Amino acid sequence: MKFTYNWLKDFVDIKISPQMLADKLTMAGLEVTSLEEKEGDFVFEVEITSNRPDWLSVVGIAREVAAITGKKLASVPVCQLSSLSRQTGKPVNRLTLNIEDRKDCSLYTATIINDVKVGPSPDWLKKRLELIDCRSVNNIVDITNYVLFETGEPLHAFDLDKIVSLLASEPVNRLEIIVKRALKNEEIITIDGIKRILDENILIIASNINQQTGKPIALAGIMGGKDTEVTENTKNILLEAAIFSPILIRRARQKLALQSESAYRFERGIDSATVEKASSRAATLINELAGGNTVLIKSAGKTQVKRKTIILDVADVSRILGVNITMVKIKKILTGLDFKVCPVKNSKSLKKQLEVTVPSHRSDVNLSEDLIEEISRIFGYENIPVSLPKISLARNEICPKPNLYGTRGIISLVKNILVGLGLNEVITYSLIDKDLLRDFNINTETIEILNPLSKEQEILRPVILPSLTKTIAYNLNQKQESISIFEITKIFSKTQNQPKEELTLGIGLCGTRPLLLEQGLIKNEFSFLHLKGVLEVLFERLGIQEYDFNTESESSISVNICKEKIGLITNLSKEALEQAGIKNKKAWVSQISLEKIFKYVNLTKKFLSPPKYPGITRDISFILKTDIEINTVLKAMRESNFTLLRSIRIVDYYKGPQIPADYRSLTISCLYRSDERTLTEEEINPLHAEIRNILSGRFSAKIR
Amino acid sequence: MDINTIKIEIDSISKNIIVEITGINSTQSLEELQLKYLGRKGKIAQLTGAIPTLPLPERGALGCQINALKNKVASLIEKKQKSITTKPPETAKFIYDIGLPAIVQELGQLHPITKIIDEICAIFNQMGFSVIEGPEIETEHNNFTGLNIPLEHPSREAFDTFYLKLASEPVNQLANEQANRQTGKLLLRSHTSPVQIRVMKSQEPPLAVIVPGRVYRPDAVDASHSFMFHQIEGFIVDENIRFSDLKGILEAFAKAIFGKDIKMRFRPHFFPFTEPSVEVDISCIICEPVSRLASEPVKGCKPANCPVCHGKRWLEILGSGMIHPNVFKNVGYDFKKYTGFAFGMGVERIAMLKYGINDIRLFFENDLRFLKQF
Repeated sequence: MKFTYNWLKDFVDIKISPQMLADKLTMAGLEVTSLEEKEGDFVFEVEITSNRPDWLSVVGIAREVAAITGKKLASVPVCQLSSLSRQTGKPVNRLTLNIEDRKDCSLYTATIINDVKVGPSPDWLKKRLELIDCRSVNNIVDITNYVLFETGEPLHAFDLDKIVSLLASEPVNRLEIIVKRALKNEEIITIDGIKRILDENILIIASNINQQTGKPIALAGIMGGKDTEVTENTKNILLEAAIFSPILIRRARQKLALQSESAYRFERGIDSATVEKASSRAATLINELAGGNTVLIKSAGKTQVKRKTIILDVADVSRILGVNITMVKIKKILTGLDFKVCPVKNSKSLKKQLEVTVPSHRSDVNLSEDLIEEISRIFGYENIPVSLPKISLARNEICPKPNLYGTRGIISLVKNILVGLGLNEVITYSLIDKDLLRDFNINTETIEILNPLSKEQEILRPVILPSLTKTIAYNLNQKQESISIFEITKIFSKTQNQPKEELTLGIGLCGTRPLLLEQGLIKNEFSFLHLKGVLEVLFERLGIQEYDFNTESESSISVNICKEKIGLITNLSKEALEQAGIKNKKAWVSQISLEKIFKYVNLTKKFLSPPKYPGITRDISFILKTDIEINTVLKAMRESNFTLLRSIRIVDYYKGPQIPADYRSLTISCLYRSDERTLTEEEINPLHAEIRNILSGRFSAKIR
Repeated sequence: MDINTIKIEIDSISKNIIVEITGINSTQSLEELQLKYLGRKGKIAQLTGAIPTLPLPERGALGCQINALKNKVASLIEKKQKSITTKPPETAKFIYDIGLPAIVQELGQLHPITKIIDEICAIFNQMGFSVIEGPEIETEHNNFTGLNIPLEHPSREAFDTFYLKLASEPVNQLANEQANRQTGKLLLRSHTSPVQIRVMKSQEPPLAVIVPGRVYRPDAVDASHSFMFHQIEGFIVDENIRFSDLKGILEAFAKAIFGKDIKMRFRPHFFPFTEPSVEVDISCIICEPVSRLASEPVKGCKPANCPVCHGKRWLEILGSGMIHPNVFKNVGYDFKKYTGFAFGMGVERIAMLKYGINDIRLFFENDLRFLKQF
């Protein structure tokens, strides 16, 4: 909200500079976001928190300034309107106000002013409004706006004759104004010229003449109707000041997507004490600037609200703030803010207590904590000392360790292992476009977002692969040659309409890893073996032993721990790559469920002494047909179950010119060792011969 | 060998060795020489071997002579050894061509957001806080009403929220609060504060908890807004937790992360779940002249044209406050017995200030050239 320095000075005597005032307001919780010198005045812009509707006016801010600077607040100038000009022969001298439901509108007042001269506003008025970005329309409309900004009470002026002419061809002297809910599909054209379709959740103002109820003439508290707008031909006006239900105004405003200064204030709550004051202030200004006679003032609903009282335990002030503020100071602060304070006498307890009466404009103050905030605010947060909490460690451990703390440690370990393997962590959006799933052949049920801003936020991702693919594509476009990334995040699914979050690891590899050696540059293209390597190191480091990889299809390899499938490695399909804009490249991605891994993680270490006796290593070099999976060969070798055969490792493999086309060359290293003695050649020879036999006999390997 | 032959041999060895050793200038020929005289079948060993064949009276004297000879030869060889190895090589200089690219296993990088989260959590861990995480899908109760944010109130404006399409019945945004709780409307949490409700409902004070995590708000994406970002929430609950403690903890935190010379400002604000509420500012790390902070003050940057604080000289870094008694009531705590404070901050904002990043979208674009800088 904007206001000006001079306008403020109408209500409070300010002795400090605008800059200093801005600082003081900010430190009192009324944040000044800009201060600008303009046309001999200073324009302040403030951010007003939703709990302080009383600050949404010049008077409200002046009240705060008075409290901070210890000055008195001047009241809004109004004329005494007790002697109304009683004229006869004029139309509408009998007005009835009918509020259908007091819950929707607790107070409605109407003032009829006749014979006004509509015209341009005087310069001072125009200038004040324009300084705070309010366009000048004519004197009547400007006055209603001026009073709105000054007092915080929204007003609306209707052209009285137009209200009548909508229902009667002749002037009448009886008029009823009704505050009611709109009918379904009822329409109104608002002052901005837009036709609005209404429903029964929207509060309207309507008129009734001779038992005939007309169309809506205003959207209550939001905007008036075009039909009854004050124009330069207007002679007689009906000035409305009311209090409408904040929730109704909020719903209607949201439903119609229509924001206005009035709605903004009604939604936050209006001080019932200002309604009549604002109304007379406007009538006074109209009489001054546009002439006319106030002929009728009517009101319906309750004008007096019960004042809230709060008992403040003085000890609570220091208990909560950590600073002792004297009783005198507390009283002074609260009184300065218009609270009435008196000590509670004869209270049964020995506590010092104050009975504090809350002024009507402070709808936000309901608890003693709210009073303590007021005290601390004016006392100054900067004057509260700095201390550290005295949490008693002996009494109880602070926050018993929840189990997630444990997984957080594992996640951190996983991240560090992956970073050590050269992978870069990425963070991608959890919301994605549903169409992306099609290219990945994913048909799981997904969780849709009810109110996405764009198609890219349609669903919560059930898989991580599309996001990684997008990131790979982005980096290929930036001419990155070696892309190795990972993300640890949640993926989302639903079962029986219940959502499920699953912590997941995604890894993506694309491009080459260049290796410059003395032999020359080797461009090592990423393959599934790199991904396998990453996962193997990860599993080993997490103490997971029983893992294996299984080919599921041409493009997919399952990753299993203790026979449970915990994820997969995928060679991205051509469609998926093209969809992401990746051409002539292969990309490997993997998705691993961390939630499934956690139960296998074993970080306890136990020392094993190094072997006492030396082992004997025997290598076998052979060529093997390419259609025989090396996994089956290794498995067969292991199934020989020789206790002395401690390990079987592939130490070399080659495919190329020197080897027949359908073959590859492999060297397997076998380690024989005993824990009881040094082995002899004689002991090993028959075992090794058997291993060779498995190779040549069962897999037709040609041993070289 | 008889005595005489031995004596002659001793003489000749002591003469020859001097001549021979002078002519040697390589380790290899010195080793050969050593073998020749001192080896297992070397000349001196032969002499020693002959001693038992001699008449007993001669053995002692000759033995001594042979031993002296052995020591002499050994010391000569040792001396020579030293002179050869300390001699600078006279042949072509050997050069390590250290300009060639190194052969390394490249390390990856943690995302800057992870780094900041880890750093912040570490600071609070040291102060005794535990890290707890919560789900990203939340109930309206935990995200709003439990935190004293009424569903139909302007205070919700600050928390625009993504709702999930789960229940089969049409979800009416305007349905009353009671109905919402019954149907259990679900949403993506718009802040990390719901974890306050979860933790407090599950355990009694004392509590000192820090909660990092992703949050979501339907904001149009631009240089300073993202529909997904990260927050860190923290709270302490116990008897006798005071506003002054809030100031103490947050000051310790800000100084740990932005440097000990930082200036701080605590000013009143409004959050539905705290009372009193505080907004915490630090002096602008870009233009504030007194600062010797995480990032160097930019030369020639005057407050008026500072791209970061826009002349305000202060930067908002977190919101905080004493936990509202209604929040304690909602979780069943005795609000007359316990007090506490809570705070929340945007991780991206802290990272942007600390690293001088000017566009929040960079965090989610994942350009490797960006990621590798941290």
